[in-house]
Amino acid sequence: MYTLFFQNLNSKVQLTEEEEEQIKTYLTLKKLRKKQYLLQEGDVCKMIAFVEKGALRAYSVDENSNEHIIQFGLEGWTISDLYSFLTGEPATYNIDALEDSELVIISKSAHEELLQTMPKYETFTRLNITGAYLAMQRRLTSTISASVEERYQDFITLYPHIAQRVPQHMIASYMGLTPETLSRIRKRISSR
Amino acid sequence: MKTKQTIAIIGASGNMGAAVARSLSKGNYRLLLCANNLDKVQTVAYEIKESNPDAEVEASDCSKDASWEADIIIAAIPYAAEKEVAEKIREVANQKIVISIANPLNDFFNGLVTAPDTSAAEELQKLLPNSKVIKAFNTTFAADFATPVIDGKQADAFIAGNDLDALQTVSELVETAGFNPLVAGDLSVSGTLERMQLLLIQLNMKYDYNWLAGWKILHQ
Repeated sequence: MYTLFFQNLNSKVQLTEEEEEQIKTYLTLKKLRKKQYLLQEGDVCKMIAFVEKGALRAYSVDENSNEHIIQFGLEGWTISDLYSFLTGEPATYNIDALEDSELVIISKSAHEELLQTMPKYETFTRLNITGAYLAMQRRLTSTISASVEERYQDFITLYPHIAQRVPQHMIASYMGLTPETLSRIRKRISSR
Repeated sequence: MKTKQTIAIIGASGNMGAAVARSLSKGNYRLLLCANNLDKVQTVAYEIKESNPDAEVEASDCSKDASWEADIIIAAIPYAAEKEVAEKIREVANQKIVISIANPLNDFFNGLVTAPDTSAAEELQKLLPNSKVIKAFNTTFAADFATPVIDGKQADAFIAGNDLDALQTVSELVETAGFNPLVAGDLSVSGTLERMQLLLIQLNMKYDYNWLAGWKILHQ
């Protein structure tokens, strides 16, 4: 139920058994079936979800109803609308399940209480947010300055095996390409 | 809230559980109906789908799995079953809203089996220390859910609990069910609410209200 979550936590800050038990009391376990929403645009995002099993995506929808995938959340990843979570403003992302999924959720109130009471959790949060910032910078730089081939390689490095789990049009959406362009690039790379 | 919430109703084949399920199926909720008797609870789910094809409702005989999937859990179970159910769902009910609807009546309907300084809801909170137990739907009869406006007046439905966000969420549920939600106070008010229903049951039997009666606070 939360094996991966504690593995992840322990890899960043070594917890005692008592600390693990204490954190457990703050966690919400949740199952989501394929296509169900964890969050819809317009609601305030009041949680951070850790993916224990399954796959989710966060995406925005433009005025022409096109979906733009911001992030995939596979096993071991966290997924949220951090902007909404941190500011309390309505979410601009939708988050839904691409597969039946099991999540470990930290609600905003649990998060704040843990930050107050457990220094190791604060360290864990700092490392997580730093990681998210680095990932975002990398994605931004890659999007505005790298060639499409390089971007595809970056994507595959970031999400190994994802091509087997997620339809091509979603990968194209994540990369800001049309599915046809993505298909051409994949052919070009594989013919090398 | 736009995001559809999943509600597990444990004991959904009972009178109260089925009535709660039917009335909440009108709202923006996905319902997981649980009971030990799968056939019975499937019938309830089927009837709901028949009268409201848009309703998202499923039957299950596993209270743990349903509670794991749920955002909100309604324990539509008798007081005597609280301990057994709590043990099954404790881990997956962590941090979630658990609604206690039970009235801990004795076999003669003339008193409560709980001690004077506690209540079914507070006892459930002790069994589920990391859940947000809320008392609700205990001052309404099952028949009231089909007719929440009695004699031209919308029945009040009292709510008690310690978590403000949870009280707000449950108030919305109560409103969806057609009642006027009235937050009475923290969870320690539950004992009073349970005794109010004891009185209403006694009045019902004495004056033959045909189990269609409710509370309404008159005020300026």
